[in-house]
Amino acid sequence: MRRFLDRLYWLSGVLAGLFMFLIFAVIITQVGLNAIDRIAGLAFGGAIGLSIPSYSDFAGFFLAASSFLGLASTLRHGALIRVSLVIERLPEAARRPVEIWCCAVGAAISGFATYHSVLLLLDAYGYGELSTGIVAIPMWIPQLSLVVGLAVLTIALVDELVAVLRGDDPVYRAETGEL
Amino acid sequence: MIEVWLSIGLVVTLMALLGSGVWVAVALTGTGILGLAWFSEAPVGTVLVSTFWGGADSWELAALPMFIWMGDILFRSRLPEDMFTGIAPWISRLPGRLMHVNILGCGIFAAVSGSSAATCATIGRMSIPELTKRGYDDRLIIGTLAGSGTLGLLIPPSIILIVYGVAIEESIARLFIAGVLPGVMLISLFMGYVMIWSLLHPDRVPPVDAAIPFGERLYRSRRLIPVVLLIIGVIGSIYSGIASPTAAAAVGVLISLIIASAQGGMSRAVFTDGLMNSMRTSVMIAFILSGAAFLTVAMGFAGIPVKLAAWIGTMGLSQYELLSALTVFFILMGCFLDGISIVVLTTAIILPMVEQAGIDRIWFGIYVVLVVEMSQITPPVGFNLFVIQGLTGRSVVEIARCAAPFFLLMVVAVAILALFPEIATYLPSKMLDS
Repeated sequence: MRRFLDRLYWLSGVLAGLFMFLIFAVIITQVGLNAIDRIAGLAFGGAIGLSIPSYSDFAGFFLAASSFLGLASTLRHGALIRVSLVIERLPEAARRPVEIWCCAVGAAISGFATYHSVLLLLDAYGYGELSTGIVAIPMWIPQLSLVVGLAVLTIALVDELVAVLRGDDPVYRAETGEL
Repeated sequence: MIEVWLSIGLVVTLMALLGSGVWVAVALTGTGILGLAWFSEAPVGTVLVSTFWGGADSWELAALPMFIWMGDILFRSRLPEDMFTGIAPWISRLPGRLMHVNILGCGIFAAVSGSSAATCATIGRMSIPELTKRGYDDRLIIGTLAGSGTLGLLIPPSIILIVYGVAIEESIARLFIAGVLPGVMLISLFMGYVMIWSLLHPDRVPPVDAAIPFGERLYRSRRLIPVVLLIIGVIGSIYSGIASPTAAAAVGVLISLIIASAQGGMSRAVFTDGLMNSMRTSVMIAFILSGAAFLTVAMGFAGIPVKLAAWIGTMGLSQYELLSALTVFFILMGCFLDGISIVVLTTAIILPMVEQAGIDRIWFGIYVVLVVEMSQITPPVGFNLFVIQGLTGRSVVEIARCAAPFFLLMVVAVAILALFPEIATYLPSKMLDS
């Protein structure tokens, strides 16, 4: 079980990284095509119109995918910002209930959002909703990242909650926040 | 009457959630859920997820991970090591001499990085040992570093200006360009202070080194030249409207990758580490933005920002009075909250009040960033203080005391910006796409 969960967070994080790279790839390709187009325009007196269709839509979808799929990994690396001013000064005994509270609130809100993201997805699927760009993508496909990302975050928060209830340190505390 | 109590309840809930250590993004979302449930008949869950989705699926916001990544690549490259040798020969004749490396180094790194803490750490880890070794004044080293590190927020690319721009749906390109002159102003103020200080304390400035001929200077700075060209290219293409900030950011990433590889600092491990680390920073910020966007919707239903604006309106404050009050308020908030949280809360609650007072949105963005910069060097929560604590092992209070003159210089900068708003608004008004 432990191994499965760690794999899950890892995989979700790697996918987030991959989607971030894809944002870069799609924009760079578009910029490159644009440049070729301009040069060709100067050379032949007319632009060819080289372009990735709906590239900005794709960049947006990839960004959303990266932002949601990376949530669990970010949480576990201790990189989600929180106000630690008060809790850091608490004695260890008082700190535990506070961490339980944080994880419980987090899990509840994340669970609530996950549930409604599934409804959103089913709606998009049911109504056959399409993106508005030149390339019309069924919206449920990019929105899948919202559902999966929030679901994995909920699992990670419940995971941390169980750990704290057992008396362990939450994983996000072991890692210090990054710059 | 019940509405007033509910509004107060909402603000108290938010403070309680934040104070108890609940993650900022979760606290914003939770408060939004309560607000919507109290003040509206709207289906809370549906509004929540559609706001989350609508906010994340955005072309403009794609500039965020790209600029974070660009800064991260250069942070891991050999650039920071070259900063000292590259800048030092140019300034050895100014009063204060190498102390200006801190200020100019931060200024240059700020132009490739959008983060204050990263700027401070990058420059500090090479300048503190070098300057200490040469016998420069400890307190001034720490002070200049703490102050100048905050330039990372103001000089484009700026993560915090992307956050502000996305949150208020204002052009990020304009906000970036608006930050240029105030950034230069701040650099000048800092350098001016160091010069005056050095003239007043000649005994605490080490003796001058031998003059270095121009050709030799250029040779020593050779590794900085690609970066300076990169900076000019990125800012120039945004200013001239050739490229959107998002496209400029992606090109910046590509060039940074090339620079880092050419210097031999790039390996597969460094590449993946940088990518994943930037991804997490970007996720953290995007999550806060999502929570803030949702809270803004909820606050809108509750009418809190509008009522607050009306209430402030009845007090008949002048713009200067309002800004003075806000500055004090922000500095207090900055003692407990990080910059990004301050900015998203500002846009959710305070912006209508500001606009009603006739204050320009772009100008206000620059103003908020300046005030947030100050909060980076005020205890108990000031990220630059923590960074320098990590670098020097001094206590936060001691570092804050060294940074105090620079805090005051920033107060002066805010005052100048309020008296001459054109410092922020002139360049954006001259942009080609306007």
